[in-house]
Amino acid sequence: MKDGRLLLAPAMGWLAFFFIVPMLIVVAVSFASRTPYGQVIFEWTLESYQRLLEPLYLRIFANTLWVSFLTTFLTILMGYPLAYYIVQLPKKWQQPGLILVMVPFWINFLIRSYAWVIVLRSQGLINSLLLKFGFIERPMQLLYNDAAVMVGMVYALLPFMVLPIYVALEGLDWRLLEAAYDLGASPFKAFRKITLPLSMSGIAEGTIMVFISSIGMFIVPDVMGGAKTVLIGNLIQNQFLSARDWPFGSALSIVLGILSLILIFLYYRAINGSKGGAQNA
Amino acid sequence: MKKIIFLMLTVFTLLLMGCGGSKEEKPQAEEPNTSGKQVLNIACWPDIIDPELVSAFEKKYNCRVNYDVISNNEETLAKMQAGGAQYDMIQASDYMVEIMIKLKLIDKIDKSKMKHVHNMVPFLRKPAYDPNGEYSVPYDWGFTGIVYNKKYVKKVPTSWADLWDPDYRNRVILLNDSREVIGMALKKNGHSNNTTNKAEIDNAIADLKGLMPNVMAFDTDTIKQKVIAEEAWIGMMWSGDASFVRNENPDIGYVVPKEGGVIWADNMLIPTTSRNPKLAIAFIDFLFEPKNAAKNFEYIGYDQTNLDAMPFHTEEFRNDPVLKEARDNANKGEWLKDIDEAIVMYDRAWTELKSGM
Repeated sequence: MKDGRLLLAPAMGWLAFFFIVPMLIVVAVSFASRTPYGQVIFEWTLESYQRLLEPLYLRIFANTLWVSFLTTFLTILMGYPLAYYIVQLPKKWQQPGLILVMVPFWINFLIRSYAWVIVLRSQGLINSLLLKFGFIERPMQLLYNDAAVMVGMVYALLPFMVLPIYVALEGLDWRLLEAAYDLGASPFKAFRKITLPLSMSGIAEGTIMVFISSIGMFIVPDVMGGAKTVLIGNLIQNQFLSARDWPFGSALSIVLGILSLILIFLYYRAINGSKGGAQNA
Repeated sequence: MKKIIFLMLTVFTLLLMGCGGSKEEKPQAEEPNTSGKQVLNIACWPDIIDPELVSAFEKKYNCRVNYDVISNNEETLAKMQAGGAQYDMIQASDYMVEIMIKLKLIDKIDKSKMKHVHNMVPFLRKPAYDPNGEYSVPYDWGFTGIVYNKKYVKKVPTSWADLWDPDYRNRVILLNDSREVIGMALKKNGHSNNTTNKAEIDNAIADLKGLMPNVMAFDTDTIKQKVIAEEAWIGMMWSGDASFVRNENPDIGYVVPKEGGVIWADNMLIPTTSRNPKLAIAFIDFLFEPKNAAKNFEYIGYDQTNLDAMPFHTEEFRNDPVLKEARDNANKGEWLKDIDEAIVMYDRAWTELKSGM
């Protein structure tokens, strides 16, 4: 037993040094003050947290949560059928199917965002084709608006929804469905009463991953949204760079972290709850 | 099942790495120096020195140059303040030079040890941010003016107010920089772009909110592509970028508006922590050797600060209409100065503007 713990030492040391210590520094900085040049001085204050409560910043939080919610909703809407389809494929095609979902990740995300710009911009692929075939007379403005941000977000995060749902569906006992049909359930009813509840854990897991990733996102709004919207991620980035306000940036990061923790907590509650529910049923 | 989770974790890590994609690579400064050669650690903007010149310098001085790419002043400042990064020479813009002098992060440069930095463009000899010209060697300079595409903008713009023309709905491009954009609106209203007067800033923000329906995007890093590809028709742009854009797309024009605007300069500086200031001085002087300087600025496309290099430039560079427009109107420029605490007010106003409140 003792020897076993010793084996943990490198991992623990690593985590303590590279995760916990920086984290504590961020916490400390969030309560510190700054000089006009952005130097952090350790005169303790709650000012950064008070500033968070101003309507301006609360609204950015609300807007970020809304965008994240919408992203999550759309990824479920698109990810679920995709995962379902992959599970239905013959065994030998499932792994290639999953790999196809993940292929885009082999390329840096920033580059993929710019690739979207090339596809969507006024001289881009879509506009050129539509112009050529005479469907439109002038290029449409497909980029630099909220819809483009949403396209980018959903694109970036879709795999995080597909994979956990796939895992949940893969473990599903399909005989239950056969039983349901035998008992006269319509396909829709069988889906609603059996498939959906039993894959809920996958949806919950995907939701957590997509939601948490999207509340911290700042590249998509900058590259595809034309930097016209401010999400929390952009706000934090600004505080560390142009505004030179590290305490405020740290306080924002802490709140973002706490938000994520709450979501993970809710997720575990939901998972345990749904398992209980399935057993009762 | 385990496999899938492993795959997911891999993907997640990759995504996180992707999010940090805009970061520069780790400084190579800490690499052990195995060759016994002298090492010069520098931090400069991307694409701001012709790589051939760097190689030539390495050969001539039998040294190695570690070029750490940094894309904004605040990042340089943060690295210097953190104290870990030991650069021998860095680059920073005007207002940041002022801050670094105040914070004692940079040393005076003994210009008597240099041969080629003495025939500067006159207004850069004792610039406002370094009034005695002791700490900085201005390297490149420019003017933030109006860029426009003659295909879509039929009347040559003369004033910043022209950006507000309703014909340019969704076609105006602005720099993604609070001081530049708010400063532009301040100039339009006839104020200083260094004002700390709240009423003037509030006014500027109110005007900018009115400009938002015209604004296609805020962009600094890829603004050139947006103008070349004719996504944006009109907007604000640094003269160096505008010159590049005009070479790619002949329909592009550039003017300095009658109200004036931001004049700026990037400078070579020597940090107080420099371990090899001698070699840094040699490097700066090497870059300013007239022939080298001409070659260098033909490559980067920004305007030269060294008048001695002008005769070695091509006719094209000397008469580049964009660079010429900036040179002829340099007296209309106002340097952005460090504004101390007021930066918080600017940032707030900026956030307000972008979040539509």
